[in-house]
Amino acid sequence: MISTFFNHELKSFWRSKNTGKSIAIKIVMGILIFIMFLYVLALGMFLDKILHSAFPAADLTISFCGILLVYYLFDLLTRMQLQELPTLKVQPYLHLPVKRNSVVGYLALTALLSFFNLWPIVIFGPFVIKIILPVSGGLVALAFFVSIIALALFNNYLAMYIKRKANLNGWVFLVAGAVLVLATSGDYVWHLYSLRDISYLFFGNLIKLPVLALLPIILAVVMYCVNFFYLKQNLYLEELSSKKANAYKSSTEIPLLGRYGSVGDLAANEIKLILRNKRSRSALIMGLVFMFYGLIFYTNPKMGEGFKIFVGMFMTGVFIINYGQFMFSWQGSHFDGLLVSKIKFTDFLKAKYLLFTIVSTVAFLLTVPYIYFGWKVVLIHFIMYLWNLGVNTTIVLFFANRNYKRIDLSKGASFNWEGVGATQLLLSFPLILLPYAVFLPFKFLKMPDVGFAALAIIGLIFILTRNFWIKKLEADFYTKRFKIAEGFRNK
Amino acid sequence: MIQINDLKKVYNGVIVVNIPQLEIKAGESIGLVGNNGAGKTTLFRMVLDLIRPEAGEILLNGNKVAGGEDWKNYTASYLDEGFLIDYLTPEEYFYFIGGLHQQNKTQVDEALLSLTDFFNGEILKKGKYIRDLSKGNQCKVGVGACMLQKPALLMLDEPFANIDPSTQFRLKNILKEQNKKHGVTTIVSSHDLNHVTDVCERILLMEKGKIIKDIATSSSTLSELEEYFGVGQSVASFEVDREENH
Repeated sequence: MISTFFNHELKSFWRSKNTGKSIAIKIVMGILIFIMFLYVLALGMFLDKILHSAFPAADLTISFCGILLVYYLFDLLTRMQLQELPTLKVQPYLHLPVKRNSVVGYLALTALLSFFNLWPIVIFGPFVIKIILPVSGGLVALAFFVSIIALALFNNYLAMYIKRKANLNGWVFLVAGAVLVLATSGDYVWHLYSLRDISYLFFGNLIKLPVLALLPIILAVVMYCVNFFYLKQNLYLEELSSKKANAYKSSTEIPLLGRYGSVGDLAANEIKLILRNKRSRSALIMGLVFMFYGLIFYTNPKMGEGFKIFVGMFMTGVFIINYGQFMFSWQGSHFDGLLVSKIKFTDFLKAKYLLFTIVSTVAFLLTVPYIYFGWKVVLIHFIMYLWNLGVNTTIVLFFANRNYKRIDLSKGASFNWEGVGATQLLLSFPLILLPYAVFLPFKFLKMPDVGFAALAIIGLIFILTRNFWIKKLEADFYTKRFKIAEGFRNK
Repeated sequence: MIQINDLKKVYNGVIVVNIPQLEIKAGESIGLVGNNGAGKTTLFRMVLDLIRPEAGEILLNGNKVAGGEDWKNYTASYLDEGFLIDYLTPEEYFYFIGGLHQQNKTQVDEALLSLTDFFNGEILKKGKYIRDLSKGNQCKVGVGACMLQKPALLMLDEPFANIDPSTQFRLKNILKEQNKKHGVTTIVSSHDLNHVTDVCERILLMEKGKIIKDIATSSSTLSELEEYFGVGQSVASFEVDREENH
């Protein structure tokens, strides 16, 4: 039975829409994952050097043992945020003559197939082999390996358990999060105790007494059993599903937009789309995270003005880029409905422009505090804001007419490749290159200010001639709409 | 109302819709029946300009559907959940649809009042997004949104499939009332022959993309259709011959 499950699991991975259908995407995805793996592996290989430069005074083994517990605390926190519950997958088996034990065992086993369980081995494994093995011998190294893996499994099942509990009661999640935050603040904010000392207390003694490795094993097994029996008793769809208990969903209005007629209504709908669906919400949150982009670049004096174009464009326009690259796909699930409704496509496009304008304006206002780095920074932000509204919106909508892939809004954004196609790759070239195509010639002529002015003027011209571009886009859309609608219909 | 000329749709070399000539007059109530894959939904989608026919044209009120916008003013349709904006609450969706037809909130509320029975207390003020409703209740939202638009042409694809018996009964009354009192042209597809013969005055039977029967409903229609669907091939081929002679 387990082998059949395993077989289905493999099929579901390779045939999943998130994995992407075309080979090109699979290759790009493979390369990206491989690069990420290499980064983590490099971190593991040079962990001794990193630890040495971070704590030059301390003994390497002591500082290594010290960071382990800290790592697992953060591991637990990220798992609670990101790790997906492998749950609804069992739905098709529940009504079949399959033993409950094998269904639950299958659920518990597939939970192991997570990248999170690989990282601690990749990060800490090399250190154990390089430093601990030669000094303390094979048995201790083995004890370390066992403890590291067992603690990862413990975290794995603990995170699952917390998430399952949290599905039934949202407070569980908050309490668990608060406990973790308090535990970390106890060390780093209030200095009540040192997590590193506690960590060393265990791992330090592990060197002297390798039998202690049994402790994490026992923890992991207990947690596995807790999970197993909890699942077995709660093998019901509503308790399994990752849907939160349904709160009352109230209807809302966005009053200011009412003034714009049906364009405003469409924009209001799209704002609701963004806020009420998981994937679009993460696109918005990404945009907020990018607001700190400037802190990385502006604090570095080596970055020239050319970089500010890039940073300014991203900070005021990351939403246009991030959300706009999947334009129309967001509405893929009800595109037919939009096509047969009494909506003029011009209004539809105007609503997109309105939405972009609103979000970009908010983003620009949020970047105003960067005036700390000089008024010119904010001026460049403003210029790039104009550029975003004028040029980038139009580019994004032009490529939207060439995007035929549907998106499932309820899935998270991390590692989600659904809806990604050649369009997104092509789109990034004009977005990144065009402002430099305008700016760099002036820069080489030693007139960077004229270059900035040129960017601003071009942005303004595009904003002022918006109606012309809307007409062009509309005409373009009418030649492609059947293909777009058909693509969206393909689930 | 609807004029179809030489309409053809091909998927992967297979002709899925092939209608040389069809006219539907204003005020008619049409029932579209046929087994799975007969081309009913494809025909609906072509009438609504959602897919491009390989050949032929569809005229609504004398204007070409393809590329036109005018027909949207008087056509309301619900084919599947893809027509609903699923992250809105039903109320928000109704206000949105009403807004597209220049109705303010009070007008929408008023129109919804007449649908109270049909909704059966399961749609409004339930605090759910449309995506969290059951299929049957989503269908109610779709049909409700159609009524809101006060259409001259109403198209529903298998509306009876997911709704409960009481709602089926109410929907039939709504369809009859719209057709008789307001002169709305209705086109409804269904697998339930009882419902279709009850509601519709003209039945179109599709098979493999062709309309093989075009009958005015009478007392014998139901048994005639049951014979076709029950007995199967022998009757069907006979009918095809008759159609070709005709």
